[in-house]
Amino acid sequence: MVRLFSGQRAWVAQRFTAVMLLAAVLAGVAWLLLGEPLDYARWRALVTTPVGAVLTVLVFAMLAVHGWVGARDIVLDYVQPRGLRLALLGAILLILAATLIRVVLVLATHGAT
Amino acid sequence: MHLRIYRFNPDTDTQPRMQDYDITPEASDKKLLDVLVRLKSVDDSLSFRRSCREGICGSDAMNINGRNGLACLQSLDELKQPVVLRPLPGFPVIRDLIVDMTLFFAHYHSIKPYLINPESPPERERLQTPEQRERLNGLYECILCACCSAFCPSFWWNPDKFIGPAGLLQAYRFIADSRDTATAERLDYLDDVYRLYRCRTIMNCTEVCPKGLSPSHAIEQIRLALLKQSS
Amino acid sequence: MRTPSSTPLKFLNLWQIRFPIGAIASIAHRVSGVLLLIALPLLASVLARSLQSPAEFDALRAAAASTSGTLILALATWALAHHVLAGIRHLLMDIGIGSGLAQARRSARAALIAAPIIALYVLVRGLW
Repeated sequence: MVRLFSGQRAWVAQRFTAVMLLAAVLAGVAWLLLGEPLDYARWRALVTTPVGAVLTVLVFAMLAVHGWVGARDIVLDYVQPRGLRLALLGAILLILAATLIRVVLVLATHGAT
Repeated sequence: MHLRIYRFNPDTDTQPRMQDYDITPEASDKKLLDVLVRLKSVDDSLSFRRSCREGICGSDAMNINGRNGLACLQSLDELKQPVVLRPLPGFPVIRDLIVDMTLFFAHYHSIKPYLINPESPPERERLQTPEQRERLNGLYECILCACCSAFCPSFWWNPDKFIGPAGLLQAYRFIADSRDTATAERLDYLDDVYRLYRCRTIMNCTEVCPKGLSPSHAIEQIRLALLKQSS
Repeated sequence: MRTPSSTPLKFLNLWQIRFPIGAIASIAHRVSGVLLLIALPLLASVLARSLQSPAEFDALRAAAASTSGTLILALATWALAHHVLAGIRHLLMDIGIGSGLAQARRSARAALIAAPIIALYVLVRGLW
Protein backbone atom coordinates (compact mmCIF):
# COMPACT_ATOMS: atom_id res chain seq x y z
CA MET A 1 0.00 0.00 0.00
CA VAL A 2 2.86 2.30 0.83
CA ARG A 3 4.22 1.42 -2.59
CA LEU A 4 1.08 2.39 -4.52
CA PHE A 5 2.71 5.09 -6.70
CA SER A 6 6.25 5.12 -5.37
CA GLY A 7 9.22 7.39 -5.93
CA GLN A 8 9.23 9.08 -9.28
CA ARG A 9 5.84 7.68 -10.34
CA ALA A 10 4.14 9.37 -7.39
CA TRP A 11 6.01 12.60 -8.05
CA VAL A 12 5.00 12.60 -11.72
CA ALA A 13 1.39 11.66 -10.88
CA GLN A 14 1.23 14.49 -8.36
CA ARG A 15 2.58 17.01 -10.84
CA PHE A 16 0.45 15.78 -13.76
CA THR A 17 -2.79 15.89 -11.74
CA ALA A 18 -1.74 19.30 -10.37
CA VAL A 19 -1.52 20.77 -13.88
CA MET A 20 -4.87 19.22 -14.90
CA LEU A 21 -6.57 20.37 -11.69
CA LEU A 22 -5.12 23.84 -12.12
CA ALA A 23 -6.87 24.02 -15.51
CA ALA A 24 -10.09 22.74 -13.92
CA VAL A 25 -9.95 25.30 -11.10
CA LEU A 26 -9.33 28.16 -13.56
CA ALA A 27 -12.22 26.96 -15.78
CA GLY A 28 -14.48 26.61 -12.73
CA VAL A 29 -13.68 30.08 -11.40
CA ALA A 30 -14.22 31.60 -14.86
CA TRP A 31 -17.52 29.73 -15.16
CA LEU A 32 -18.67 31.07 -11.77
CA LEU A 33 -17.52 34.66 -12.26
CA LEU A 34 -18.19 35.25 -15.96
CA GLY A 35 -21.34 33.25 -16.64
CA GLU A 36 -24.99 33.82 -15.84
CA PRO A 37 -26.00 33.71 -12.16
CA LEU A 38 -25.83 30.15 -10.90
CA ASP A 39 -29.18 28.32 -10.71
CA TYR A 40 -30.39 24.74 -10.68
CA ALA A 41 -30.97 24.52 -14.44
CA ARG A 42 -27.51 25.87 -15.31
CA TRP A 43 -25.81 23.67 -12.70
CA ARG A 44 -27.63 20.54 -13.85
CA ALA A 45 -26.86 21.28 -17.49
CA LEU A 46 -23.17 21.61 -16.62
CA VAL A 47 -22.65 18.34 -14.75
CA THR A 48 -25.19 15.94 -16.25
CA THR A 49 -24.52 16.30 -19.97
CA PRO A 50 -22.37 13.37 -21.18
CA VAL A 51 -19.33 15.61 -21.60
CA GLY A 52 -19.94 17.41 -18.28
CA ALA A 53 -20.41 14.15 -16.39
CA VAL A 54 -17.24 12.60 -17.79
CA LEU A 55 -15.27 15.77 -17.00
CA THR A 56 -16.68 15.87 -13.45
CA VAL A 57 -15.70 12.24 -12.85
CA LEU A 58 -12.25 12.95 -14.31
CA VAL A 59 -11.79 15.92 -11.97
CA PHE A 60 -12.76 13.80 -8.96
CA ALA A 61 -10.42 11.02 -10.12
CA MET A 62 -7.55 13.51 -10.39
CA LEU A 63 -8.44 14.90 -6.96
CA ALA A 64 -8.34 11.36 -5.56
CA VAL A 65 -4.90 10.59 -7.07
CA HIS A 66 -3.49 13.99 -6.09
CA GLY A 67 -4.98 13.64 -2.60
CA TRP A 68 -3.59 10.12 -2.23
CA VAL A 69 -0.01 11.14 -3.02
CA GLY A 70 -0.21 14.14 -0.69
CA ALA A 71 -1.90 12.28 2.15
CA ARG A 72 0.58 9.42 1.90
CA ASP A 73 3.48 11.89 2.11
CA ILE A 74 2.00 13.34 5.30
CA VAL A 75 1.50 9.88 6.83
CA LEU A 76 5.03 8.75 5.87
CA ASP A 77 6.42 11.90 7.54
CA TYR A 78 4.46 12.07 10.78
CA VAL A 79 3.21 8.53 11.50
CA GLN A 80 6.06 6.12 12.17
CA PRO A 81 4.40 3.09 13.92
CA ARG A 82 3.83 0.56 11.16
CA GLY A 83 0.37 -0.66 12.18
CA LEU A 84 -1.09 2.80 12.63
CA ARG A 85 0.49 3.88 9.37
CA LEU A 86 -1.09 1.06 7.37
CA ALA A 87 -4.46 1.60 9.05
CA LEU A 88 -4.41 5.31 8.22
CA LEU A 89 -3.30 4.75 4.63
CA GLY A 90 -5.99 2.09 4.22
CA ALA A 91 -8.67 4.39 5.59
CA ILE A 92 -7.62 7.24 3.30
CA LEU A 93 -7.60 4.94 0.27
CA LEU A 94 -11.03 3.59 1.20
CA ILE A 95 -12.55 7.07 1.63
CA LEU A 96 -11.07 8.29 -1.65
CA ALA A 97 -12.32 5.22 -3.54
CA ALA A 98 -15.79 5.47 -1.96
CA THR A 99 -15.98 9.16 -2.86
CA LEU A 100 -15.07 8.45 -6.46
CA ILE A 101 -17.59 5.59 -6.76
CA ARG A 102 -20.29 7.76 -5.24
CA VAL A 103 -19.67 10.54 -7.78
CA VAL A 104 -19.85 8.04 -10.65
CA LEU A 105 -23.12 6.61 -9.33
CA VAL A 106 -24.68 10.04 -8.74
CA LEU A 107 -23.85 11.22 -12.23
CA ALA A 108 -24.94 7.92 -13.80
CA THR A 109 -28.39 8.19 -12.20
CA HIS A 110 -28.89 11.83 -13.05
CA GLY A 111 -27.42 11.59 -16.51
CA ALA A 112 -29.80 8.75 -17.40
CA THR A 113 -32.98 10.64 -16.48
CA MET B 1 27.87 39.41 26.01
CA HIS B 2 25.04 37.19 27.17
CA LEU B 3 24.76 33.57 25.98
CA ARG B 4 22.31 30.76 26.77
CA ILE B 5 23.78 27.37 25.96
CA TYR B 6 22.19 23.91 25.85
CA ARG B 7 23.91 21.68 28.38
CA PHE B 8 23.62 17.92 28.70
CA ASN B 9 26.01 15.54 30.39
CA PRO B 10 24.96 11.92 29.74
CA ASP B 11 26.78 10.72 32.88
CA THR B 12 24.89 12.94 35.34
CA ASP B 13 21.83 14.43 33.57
CA THR B 14 18.56 12.87 32.52
CA GLN B 15 17.28 16.10 30.95
CA PRO B 16 19.10 18.88 29.13
CA ARG B 17 19.15 22.39 30.66
CA MET B 18 19.97 25.87 29.43
CA GLN B 19 22.93 27.57 31.12
CA ASP B 20 23.48 31.32 31.07
CA TYR B 21 26.92 32.78 30.50
CA ASP B 22 28.10 36.38 30.62
CA ILE B 23 31.44 37.14 29.07
CA THR B 24 33.22 40.19 27.74
CA PRO B 25 34.76 39.44 24.35
CA GLU B 26 38.27 40.67 23.70
CA ALA B 27 38.90 43.00 20.76
CA SER B 28 40.42 40.11 18.83
CA ASP B 29 37.19 38.04 19.13
CA LYS B 30 35.41 38.37 15.79
CA LYS B 31 33.42 35.17 15.45
CA LEU B 32 31.13 33.19 17.73
CA LEU B 33 33.72 30.40 17.94
CA ASP B 34 36.24 32.84 19.46
CA VAL B 35 33.81 33.49 22.33
CA LEU B 36 33.08 29.77 22.76
CA VAL B 37 36.80 29.00 23.03
CA ARG B 38 37.09 31.79 25.61
CA LEU B 39 34.12 30.34 27.54
CA LYS B 40 35.76 26.92 27.48
CA SER B 41 38.81 28.40 29.23
CA VAL B 42 36.50 29.53 32.06
CA ASP B 43 34.20 26.46 32.14
CA ASP B 44 36.05 23.46 30.76
CA SER B 45 32.97 21.24 31.12
CA LEU B 46 31.38 23.01 28.11
CA SER B 47 31.70 20.70 25.11
CA PHE B 48 31.62 21.47 21.41
CA ARG B 49 33.48 20.34 18.30
CA ARG B 50 35.83 22.64 16.44
CA SER B 51 38.96 22.22 14.41
CA CYS B 52 40.05 24.51 11.59
CA ARG B 53 38.13 27.60 12.87
CA GLU B 54 37.70 28.93 9.32
CA GLY B 55 34.73 27.17 7.73
CA ILE B 56 36.60 24.34 6.03
CA CYS B 57 36.35 21.37 8.40
CA GLY B 58 32.65 21.69 9.17
CA SER B 59 33.01 20.63 12.81
CA ASP B 60 31.32 23.47 14.68
CA ALA B 61 27.83 23.37 13.17
CA MET B 62 25.15 24.24 15.72
CA ASN B 63 21.78 25.91 16.08
CA ILE B 64 22.47 29.61 16.63
CA ASN B 65 19.44 31.70 17.65
CA GLY B 66 17.11 29.19 15.98
CA ARG B 67 19.05 28.74 12.73
CA ASN B 68 21.83 26.31 11.90
CA GLY B 69 25.27 27.72 11.15
CA LEU B 70 28.99 27.40 11.77
CA ALA B 71 30.20 29.14 14.93
CA CYS B 72 33.49 29.98 13.19
CA LEU B 73 31.74 31.88 10.37
CA GLN B 74 29.15 33.62 12.56
CA SER B 75 30.19 37.24 13.10
CA LEU B 76 29.64 38.49 16.64
CA ASP B 77 28.27 41.87 15.57
CA GLU B 78 25.40 40.23 13.65
CA LEU B 79 24.17 38.30 16.70
CA LYS B 80 21.11 39.27 18.73
CA GLN B 81 21.49 38.74 22.48
CA PRO B 82 21.02 36.56 24.35
CA VAL B 83 22.82 34.27 21.93
CA VAL B 84 20.97 30.97 22.23
CA LEU B 85 23.05 27.94 21.24
CA ARG B 86 21.63 24.44 20.88
CA PRO B 87 22.89 21.28 19.17
CA LEU B 88 21.88 20.55 15.56
CA PRO B 89 18.11 19.81 15.57
CA GLY B 90 17.00 16.21 15.13
CA PHE B 91 20.44 14.69 15.69
CA PRO B 92 21.11 12.51 18.78
CA VAL B 93 22.87 14.58 21.42
CA ILE B 94 26.09 13.07 22.76
CA ARG B 95 27.00 15.92 25.09
CA ASP B 96 26.19 19.67 25.12
CA LEU B 97 26.55 20.90 21.53
CA ILE B 98 28.07 17.65 20.24
CA VAL B 99 25.75 15.44 18.18
CA ASP B 100 26.03 11.92 16.79
CA MET B 101 26.67 12.14 13.02
CA THR B 102 26.64 8.37 12.38
CA LEU B 103 23.41 8.31 10.33
CA PHE B 104 24.40 11.46 8.46
CA PHE B 105 27.66 9.87 7.27
CA ALA B 106 25.96 6.53 6.58
CA HIS B 107 23.74 8.36 4.08
CA TYR B 108 26.80 10.05 2.61
CA HIS B 109 28.51 6.69 2.08
CA SER B 110 25.31 5.17 0.63
CA ILE B 111 25.47 7.43 -2.44
CA LYS B 112 29.00 6.15 -3.24
CA PRO B 113 30.86 9.46 -2.93
CA TYR B 114 33.66 8.58 -5.32
CA LEU B 115 34.15 8.42 -9.08
CA ILE B 116 33.03 5.15 -10.65
CA ASN B 117 34.65 4.42 -14.00
CA PRO B 118 35.58 0.86 -15.00
CA GLU B 119 37.55 1.96 -18.06
CA SER B 120 41.28 1.67 -17.50
CA PRO B 121 42.63 5.05 -16.46
CA PRO B 122 44.66 7.04 -18.99
CA GLU B 123 48.35 7.52 -18.40
CA ARG B 124 48.04 10.89 -16.72
CA GLU B 125 44.48 11.94 -15.86
CA ARG B 126 40.88 11.94 -17.08
CA LEU B 127 40.49 15.25 -18.86
CA GLN B 128 37.44 17.50 -18.67
CA THR B 129 36.48 20.45 -20.82
CA PRO B 130 36.14 23.75 -18.92
CA GLU B 131 32.35 23.40 -19.37
CA GLN B 132 32.34 19.91 -17.83
CA ARG B 133 34.41 21.16 -14.92
CA GLU B 134 32.12 24.16 -14.53
CA ARG B 135 29.19 21.84 -13.73
CA LEU B 136 30.88 20.75 -10.49
CA ASN B 137 30.98 24.29 -9.13
CA GLY B 138 28.51 24.73 -6.29
CA LEU B 139 28.72 20.98 -5.57
CA TYR B 140 32.30 20.06 -4.71
CA GLU B 141 32.60 22.82 -2.08
CA CYS B 142 30.34 21.02 0.41
CA ILE B 143 32.15 20.42 3.72
CA LEU B 144 29.57 17.97 5.18
CA CYS B 145 28.89 20.14 8.23
CA ALA B 146 25.23 18.93 8.31
CA CYS B 147 23.75 22.42 8.78
CA CYS B 148 21.35 21.68 5.89
CA SER B 149 20.23 18.15 6.77
CA ALA B 150 19.73 19.18 10.40
CA PHE B 151 17.46 22.04 9.24
CA CYS B 152 15.35 19.82 6.98
CA PRO B 153 12.01 18.64 8.46
CA SER B 154 11.92 15.69 6.05
CA PHE B 155 15.24 14.56 7.52
CA TRP B 156 13.93 15.06 11.07
CA TRP B 157 10.94 12.76 10.39
CA ASN B 158 12.81 10.05 8.45
CA PRO B 159 16.51 10.36 9.37
CA ASP B 160 17.13 6.67 8.71
CA LYS B 161 15.55 6.57 5.22
CA PHE B 162 15.72 10.04 3.62
CA ILE B 163 19.24 10.73 2.35
CA GLY B 164 18.88 14.41 3.21
CA PRO B 165 20.06 17.55 1.39
CA ALA B 166 23.79 17.06 2.09
CA GLY B 167 23.86 13.48 0.80
CA LEU B 168 21.75 14.40 -2.23
CA LEU B 169 24.00 17.34 -3.11
CA GLN B 170 26.94 14.94 -2.95
CA ALA B 171 25.02 12.41 -5.06
CA TYR B 172 24.46 15.04 -7.74
CA ARG B 173 28.14 16.03 -7.56
CA PHE B 174 28.96 12.57 -8.97
CA ILE B 175 25.97 12.38 -11.33
CA ALA B 176 27.10 15.69 -12.85
CA ASP B 177 30.73 14.56 -13.21
CA SER B 178 31.66 13.76 -16.83
CA ARG B 179 34.31 11.30 -15.63
CA ASP B 180 31.78 9.14 -13.78
CA THR B 181 30.09 6.36 -15.76
CA ALA B 182 27.62 5.14 -13.12
CA THR B 183 24.97 7.84 -13.67
CA ALA B 184 22.16 5.37 -14.47
CA GLU B 185 22.88 3.21 -11.38
CA ARG B 186 23.12 6.30 -9.19
CA LEU B 187 19.76 7.57 -10.45
CA ASP B 188 18.15 4.12 -10.01
CA TYR B 189 19.33 4.08 -6.40
CA LEU B 190 17.78 7.50 -5.75
CA ASP B 191 14.39 6.72 -7.36
CA ASP B 192 12.72 5.88 -4.07
CA VAL B 193 9.85 7.36 -2.10
CA TYR B 194 12.19 7.86 0.88
CA ARG B 195 15.74 8.38 -0.39
CA LEU B 196 15.01 11.29 -2.75
CA TYR B 197 11.31 11.97 -2.82
CA ARG B 198 10.85 13.01 0.83
CA CYS B 199 12.08 16.44 -0.30
CA ARG B 200 9.24 19.00 -0.41
CA THR B 201 11.44 21.82 -1.74
CA ILE B 202 10.95 24.10 1.26
CA MET B 203 14.59 25.15 0.73
CA ASN B 204 15.56 25.27 4.41
CA CYS B 205 18.81 23.61 3.27
CA THR B 206 19.75 26.43 0.90
CA GLU B 207 18.69 29.00 3.52
CA VAL B 208 21.30 27.83 6.05
CA CYS B 209 24.22 26.48 3.98
CA PRO B 210 27.27 28.29 5.41
CA LYS B 211 29.09 27.80 2.12
CA GLY B 212 26.28 29.41 0.10
CA LEU B 213 25.52 26.19 -1.79
CA SER B 214 22.07 25.12 -2.96
CA PRO B 215 21.18 21.50 -2.15
CA SER B 216 17.61 22.25 -3.28
CA HIS B 217 18.96 23.03 -6.76
CA ALA B 218 20.90 19.76 -6.81
CA ILE B 219 17.73 17.86 -5.84
CA GLU B 220 15.82 19.68 -8.59
CA GLN B 221 18.48 18.57 -11.08
CA ILE B 222 18.36 14.93 -9.87
CA ARG B 223 14.57 14.84 -10.31
CA LEU B 224 14.87 16.25 -13.83
CA ALA B 225 17.64 13.75 -14.66
CA LEU B 226 15.39 10.92 -13.44
CA LEU B 227 12.57 12.26 -15.60
CA LYS B 228 14.86 12.34 -18.61
CA GLN B 229 16.15 8.84 -17.92
CA SER B 230 12.67 7.29 -17.73
CA SER B 231 11.28 9.01 -20.82
CA MET C 1 32.74 8.78 21.05
CA ARG C 2 29.98 7.42 23.27
CA THR C 3 27.47 5.11 21.71
CA PRO C 4 24.00 6.68 21.84
CA SER C 5 21.35 5.01 24.01
CA SER C 6 18.36 3.26 22.46
CA THR C 7 16.12 6.33 22.67
CA PRO C 8 18.62 9.09 22.04
CA LEU C 9 18.06 12.60 23.32
CA LYS C 10 17.44 15.06 20.50
CA PHE C 11 16.86 18.79 20.35
CA LEU C 12 13.75 19.18 18.21
CA ASN C 13 11.50 21.81 19.76
CA LEU C 14 9.86 23.35 16.69
CA TRP C 15 8.97 26.54 18.60
CA GLN C 16 12.67 27.18 19.27
CA ILE C 17 13.64 26.90 15.62
CA ARG C 18 13.40 29.93 13.32
CA PHE C 19 11.70 28.78 10.13
CA PRO C 20 12.40 30.58 6.85
CA ILE C 21 9.45 31.84 4.79
CA GLY C 22 9.63 28.84 2.42
CA ALA C 23 8.98 26.50 5.34
CA ILE C 24 5.97 28.57 6.44
CA ALA C 25 4.53 28.47 2.91
CA SER C 26 5.13 24.72 2.83
CA ILE C 27 3.37 23.93 6.11
CA ALA C 28 0.46 26.10 4.94
CA HIS C 29 0.47 24.06 1.71
CA ARG C 30 0.20 20.92 3.82
CA VAL C 31 -2.55 22.29 6.11
CA SER C 32 -4.55 23.55 3.13
CA GLY C 33 -4.13 20.18 1.42
CA VAL C 34 -5.51 18.34 4.45
CA LEU C 35 -8.50 20.73 4.58
CA LEU C 36 -9.19 20.12 0.89
CA LEU C 37 -8.86 16.36 1.38
CA ILE C 38 -11.46 16.52 4.19
CA ALA C 39 -13.65 18.64 1.90
CA LEU C 40 -13.56 16.07 -0.91
CA PRO C 41 -16.16 13.57 0.47
CA LEU C 42 -18.29 16.56 1.53
CA LEU C 43 -18.04 17.91 -2.01
CA ALA C 44 -19.37 14.59 -3.33
CA SER C 45 -22.32 14.86 -0.91
CA VAL C 46 -23.01 18.42 -2.04
CA LEU C 47 -22.91 17.27 -5.65
CA ALA C 48 -25.39 14.47 -4.92
CA ARG C 49 -27.80 16.73 -3.03
CA SER C 50 -27.56 19.59 -5.50
CA LEU C 51 -28.82 17.40 -8.34
CA GLN C 52 -31.78 15.93 -6.45
CA SER C 53 -34.25 18.77 -7.05
CA PRO C 54 -34.42 22.56 -7.47
CA ALA C 55 -35.61 22.77 -3.86
CA GLU C 56 -32.54 20.86 -2.57
CA PHE C 57 -30.32 23.06 -4.72
CA ASP C 58 -31.83 26.22 -3.23
CA ALA C 59 -31.55 24.79 0.30
CA LEU C 60 -27.81 24.21 -0.28
CA ARG C 61 -27.43 27.76 -1.57
CA ALA C 62 -29.20 29.14 1.49
CA ALA C 63 -26.88 27.07 3.72
CA ALA C 64 -23.86 28.43 1.85
CA ALA C 65 -25.11 31.99 2.34
CA SER C 66 -25.64 31.55 6.11
CA THR C 67 -23.02 32.88 8.54
CA SER C 68 -21.47 29.50 9.27
CA GLY C 69 -21.71 28.54 5.58
CA THR C 70 -19.89 31.71 4.55
CA LEU C 71 -17.17 31.08 7.14
CA ILE C 72 -16.66 27.51 5.95
CA LEU C 73 -16.62 28.67 2.34
CA ALA C 74 -14.06 31.38 3.17
CA LEU C 75 -11.83 28.80 4.90
CA ALA C 76 -12.20 26.46 1.93
CA THR C 77 -11.37 29.35 -0.40
CA TRP C 78 -8.22 30.13 1.57
CA ALA C 79 -7.23 26.47 1.41
CA LEU C 80 -7.88 26.23 -2.32
CA ALA C 81 -6.23 29.59 -3.10
CA HIS C 82 -3.11 28.84 -1.06
CA HIS C 83 -2.83 25.31 -2.38
CA VAL C 84 -3.20 26.48 -5.99
CA LEU C 85 -0.81 29.45 -5.65
CA ALA C 86 1.83 27.49 -3.72
CA GLY C 87 1.29 24.65 -6.19
CA ILE C 88 1.95 26.86 -9.22
CA ARG C 89 5.08 28.06 -7.41
CA HIS C 90 6.30 24.48 -6.96
CA LEU C 91 5.48 23.45 -10.55
CA LEU C 92 7.54 26.38 -11.84
CA MET C 93 10.39 25.73 -9.40
CA ASP C 94 10.46 22.07 -10.51
CA ILE C 95 11.51 23.21 -13.98
CA GLY C 96 13.97 25.75 -12.63
CA ILE C 97 11.83 28.89 -12.80
CA GLY C 98 12.17 31.01 -9.65
CA SER C 99 14.06 28.27 -7.78
CA GLY C 100 16.84 30.62 -6.69
CA LEU C 101 16.68 31.53 -3.00
CA ALA C 102 15.75 35.22 -3.41
CA GLN C 103 12.95 34.54 -5.89
CA ALA C 104 11.68 31.55 -3.93
CA ARG C 105 11.43 33.70 -0.80
CA ARG C 106 9.46 36.33 -2.70
CA SER C 107 7.03 33.87 -4.27
CA ALA C 108 6.49 32.14 -0.90
CA ARG C 109 5.60 35.48 0.68
CA ALA C 110 3.33 36.34 -2.26
CA ALA C 111 1.34 33.10 -1.89
CA LEU C 112 1.03 33.56 1.89
CA ILE C 113 -0.32 37.10 1.43
CA ALA C 114 -2.55 36.57 -1.63
CA ALA C 115 -4.52 33.55 -0.35
CA PRO C 116 -6.04 35.30 2.71
CA ILE C 117 -6.93 38.30 0.52
CA ILE C 118 -8.84 36.03 -1.88
CA ALA C 119 -10.56 34.33 1.08
CA LEU C 120 -11.48 37.74 2.51
CA TYR C 121 -13.06 38.67 -0.82
CA VAL C 122 -15.27 35.57 -0.65
CA LEU C 123 -16.10 36.33 2.99
CA VAL C 124 -17.26 39.84 2.12
CA ARG C 125 -18.76 39.33 -1.34
CA GLY C 126 -19.95 35.73 -1.18
CA LEU C 127 -19.19 33.21 -3.89
CA TRP C 128 -21.86 34.51 -6.30
